[in-house]
Amino acid sequence: MNDDSLIIYEEEIEKIDSIMARMLKGAEAKCALLVDKDGHLITRQGFTHSLDTTALAALLAGSFASTKEIARLVGESEFSVLFHQGKKDHIHMSLVGDRSILAVIFDDRTTIGMVRLYAKETALELGKIFASLVARSQAGGGATLSDEFAATAGDKLDDIFQD
Amino acid sequence: MVSINYATREVTCKIVYYGPGLSGKTTNLIYVHNKVPATTRGKMISLATEADRTLYFDFLPINIGAINGFAAKFQLYTVPGQVYYNATRKLVLRGVDGLVFVADSQAEKMDENIESLTNLKENLEEYGYDINEIPIVIQYNKRDLPGVLTVEEIQAKLNPMGWKYFEAEAVGGRGVFDTLKMIIKLVLDKAKSGKSSGAAVAAHAKEPAAVVSHATSEPPVTPPPVAPVPVEMQAPPAETAPPPARQPAYRSPDEEKGQDEYPDHEDRIEHNTLSDDKAAEPVEQYVAPPEGPATPEEIEDAGDAVSRPFPGSTSSRILRRDRRITVSDFQPAGREVESPGMRSHFSRDGNLAQQNMPTPHMAPSQRIVKKKPGFFKRLFGIQ
Repeated sequence: MNDDSLIIYEEEIEKIDSIMARMLKGAEAKCALLVDKDGHLITRQGFTHSLDTTALAALLAGSFASTKEIARLVGESEFSVLFHQGKKDHIHMSLVGDRSILAVIFDDRTTIGMVRLYAKETALELGKIFASLVARSQAGGGATLSDEFAATAGDKLDDIFQD
Repeated sequence: MVSINYATREVTCKIVYYGPGLSGKTTNLIYVHNKVPATTRGKMISLATEADRTLYFDFLPINIGAINGFAAKFQLYTVPGQVYYNATRKLVLRGVDGLVFVADSQAEKMDENIESLTNLKENLEEYGYDINEIPIVIQYNKRDLPGVLTVEEIQAKLNPMGWKYFEAEAVGGRGVFDTLKMIIKLVLDKAKSGKSSGAAVAAHAKEPAAVVSHATSEPPVTPPPVAPVPVEMQAPPAETAPPPARQPAYRSPDEEKGQDEYPDHEDRIEHNTLSDDKAAEPVEQYVAPPEGPATPEEIEDAGDAVSRPFPGSTSSRILRRDRRITVSDFQPAGREVESPGMRSHFSRDGNLAQQNMPTPHMAPSQRIVKKKPGFFKRLFGIQ
């Protein structure tokens, strides 16, 4: 169960961030989120200040998960790209490696083709980084927290959760 | 799985409320949402049918604040309870760290409880999780209703594993927080007793506090006998330096980001809405900045990419006016030369032409007035 726990280190995040920033500039998209398939936000780039990124991450992962089931029903293992078209803003999601999702939010200043092109390149690049990241967090022995952490959390819980 | 993000310094855990339909899973979340301070929780999202039955999942993020420099975040999910939503129910279980099984205490619902529990086990197995390894708390809900079984009776039917249990009335809130607190503790204990390679996050050989009673606490200092390969021994200490040392390094990515777009604190709003250490800051103050960068300074900073979407912005108009001055300055001079009858004389007189060469700052009209009298006087010999 601990085998696939995810630990994200700064160096990788910096690399990932710079790759994503480059993609945003190239594709002229608004922002991009990198989301774990479990629904955790890994990192984000661009104009995300007006977005509830936590909820967005959970929902994006959810919608990706449900299309995966749809794919299975029609005999595919997984759909690697998902596109939601809106009136102004659109979302392009693509699979990165086998456990994360790159979501690019863009509007009519650019085109779906541009976003697709850049997202595809970026997903490949990120996939490589992710592979090393997962390998590293597994080599590191999975997610572990200190005793102190759990104890302090226990104290805090009593303060926060009062009827 | 517990996700530890060193870049944003967050520990995120996923807790799923499971149970048969109408047992009160969503009600649990709603109670938590209503009762905890707004700084601690995020927005609750409910993907429900029109009849308020959960269709996919409910989602409530809570952040209990910074611990050892890491923000502890918990994402609470519920599943749709109805039998025929199993496909989506299974999806929510992906990456689960802890489970709350909400059982309906009414006698006639016992079969549904058992069915749901069996289903839980099956779904977990499909992901390769072992129900015996995942922290589970069981909640006997609806204790206030008539015709409920006694706790002993339910325990015998649902809890042969001896999970921790709580009696609850989710509508009134009894037992809701107890359940949540317990599952969070269990999840954190599980995370800490994971396959530790000795140097866990800032484990400074402290005794486990008394609060955590059920800890499978290993001696904190020594690496466990199931010692990993040398690589593993080296890797974690490098990454798990004590928080203060890493503090500046951690902030830098966000600060860099801030330079590009918006000031650091604005960029981090949604990060910190939930965190305790930011509780003092009035979160409501942060109005989302205007869609496009409004001030000229911002446009100058951002350069080409940003100014392009705003062709009518002040900075580009100024640019165009500059250009017009330089061009128009030289045009009238040329026209002057072209004027009929004077061309040959004027153009041959190189000195004069040079003297009267217009400066960029002079208006065309001024130049004409100045030049003409001198020219005609010379031409006709007028004194």
